[in-house]
Amino acid sequence: MKKILIANRGEIAVRVIRACRDMGIATVAVYSECDRAALHVRMADEAWPVGPSAPRESYLRIDAIIDAARKSGADGVHPGYGFLAENEDFAAACRDAGLIFIGPSPEAITLMGSKTAARQAAIAAGVPVVPGTEQPLSDTASDAEVLKVAEGIGYPLMLKAVAGGGGKGMRMVATPADLPGSLRAARSEAQSAFGDGAVYLERRIMSPRHIEVQLLGDHHGTVLPFVERECSIQRRHQKVVEESPSLAVTPELRRRMTSAAASVAKAVGYTNAGTIEFLLDTDGSFYFLEMNTRLQVEHPITEMVTGVDLVQWQIRIARGERLDLDPEALLRPIAHAIECRIYAEDPDSGFLPSPGRIQGLRVPQGPGVRDDSGAYEGGDVPIFYDPMISKLITWGDSRDHAIARMRRALSEYQVRGIRTTIPFFQWILEDDDFKAFRFDTGFIDRKFGKEPLQVVDAVHEDLAAIAAAVHLFTKPVANHVAPAATSRWRDAGRIEALR
Amino acid sequence: MTFEIAIGERLRTVAVTRKGNLLHVDVDGRTHIVDARRVNDHVLSMLVQLEGDAAPSRSVDAALASRPVAGDFDVHIDGRTIPLQIRPAGSFGRQKKDGAAAGTGPQRILAPMPGKVVRVLVKAGDEVKARQGLVVVEAMKMENELRAARDGRVRDVSVTEGQSVDAGAVLLIVE
Repeated sequence: MKKILIANRGEIAVRVIRACRDMGIATVAVYSECDRAALHVRMADEAWPVGPSAPRESYLRIDAIIDAARKSGADGVHPGYGFLAENEDFAAACRDAGLIFIGPSPEAITLMGSKTAARQAAIAAGVPVVPGTEQPLSDTASDAEVLKVAEGIGYPLMLKAVAGGGGKGMRMVATPADLPGSLRAARSEAQSAFGDGAVYLERRIMSPRHIEVQLLGDHHGTVLPFVERECSIQRRHQKVVEESPSLAVTPELRRRMTSAAASVAKAVGYTNAGTIEFLLDTDGSFYFLEMNTRLQVEHPITEMVTGVDLVQWQIRIARGERLDLDPEALLRPIAHAIECRIYAEDPDSGFLPSPGRIQGLRVPQGPGVRDDSGAYEGGDVPIFYDPMISKLITWGDSRDHAIARMRRALSEYQVRGIRTTIPFFQWILEDDDFKAFRFDTGFIDRKFGKEPLQVVDAVHEDLAAIAAAVHLFTKPVANHVAPAATSRWRDAGRIEALR
Repeated sequence: MTFEIAIGERLRTVAVTRKGNLLHVDVDGRTHIVDARRVNDHVLSMLVQLEGDAAPSRSVDAALASRPVAGDFDVHIDGRTIPLQIRPAGSFGRQKKDGAAAGTGPQRILAPMPGKVVRVLVKAGDEVKARQGLVVVEAMKMENELRAARDGRVRDVSVTEGQSVDAGAVLLIVE
């Protein structure tokens, strides 16, 4: 591969451009109307327009992107995450156009994209799934029949619509006495929302952690798992803080979880980067949840604890190289890493989106800090796309060390002119339960919103007031003060005289 | 030069005078001495001697970002973001000194971001309660309900459903 088109925008497009540049590969950006001056366009070697700002008319246009690849002479396509990354038609269109799709095969995307097919694949590979009904319970099944099935699963359990999504048609059932009422409610909700009243039952895991395993698979039959990522800190089922490794995973459990993940991927002939998500119960049992057939947002924490550049490996795998990494080393973290996803949202106003112009940007620096960003000073955060503007990653030789560095980095980070989730992360990182690693996926729901995010003392209010008054008093003038006229010849003469 | 500055519920009166290379900044009767250097148009480096402060030369790096309404700023200090409103002396008028600066007078409901008005939930003349939804604006594919800060009566509704609005546009006024 000599030239790669990145079918994405924002921080991930920038991330892929960097990997390409490290490898001496030319890069092609695509952009929508509002993204003409976006960072990924400015950084790429070439850039081609693909349509108006709405994603449907640009970044989701398979034909426009394939056309841009042809015109630019690219021979590979990296989809990033989101947009077309898990679209089997796009992967197939690349293949049909003679382009190397840097990701799994269209067949693997199709198979693992179906929740039920993926669950079957996991069962076939001998990997546990959350215990539940294998066949849907039709809306004519009697209460007695459903009660009998429920008895085999155990309480508490979750009642879920087969056609469900977004929490609709979903009920938690604590005891057999609650089942008939919940069943009626879930069925009627599912019927009106999806036109299908079929439901299934699944055991309720009371305080689960969300643990996932990164994998790479090459085209020569090798699949290698990496040390796990802990992604239990979630808001509305969206990960907000991730870390690696998980203190809840012992070396022995790590061996079992990573080999379970690898066996699922091997069983379906998976290639390139992918992630298997698990629920981990408090007793150490774990259950397959789903597979993500793409590079994950949170991949940098795995890179920081293993020293492996995952995006470079995606490219190397796609061009047919063998995975010659030491499998044991991938399971032995060399550091502890944490990631915070910085969003253009105002956490003090119910996470209201806060698009607009970035008037000023101060990016954290120094030891143990990485900022994967698509933002720049003077740049705009458009209203059309996911409002994530950067991922801040810190690492250290222990979890406490990584947390201390994250707190330092967050206090250095200024994104001025728009509101961001930085204060939200400062609140999480101050929390005693977070610091003590006492949490599950319900952490944010239980704790957030009960206290103000930032407590500003009177002294800092005074200082802010002083700053604002001094700012207006010393009113900035254009170009500040003109530099005094100097002669470089005269300066050179003085420097010479000092030698 | 004297200003009134509202931070949260509290109003401060702040006067700045130049004394040689230093600034004397009087905040509600306490005088603080400031050595200020402008780093750029939006960033100040200040060495501050707060009156009575144990740390006599506190180094404060302050960055200001303007908000859609003129005179509203986010001040970034010490890893904190402090929103404030600064106006010439007397602007906040007869409002109580430590009462809510934002607690009386008409509420102007502004678009917090560019977007589209999808629903207007009230009409002129309606009595509204604090926290009641007034208008729904869509941006970044999310619907955001803007609510009344306190009880009042809707005076002007300046937008209609389907209308695109810029950040800071006045959507309606509640008095």
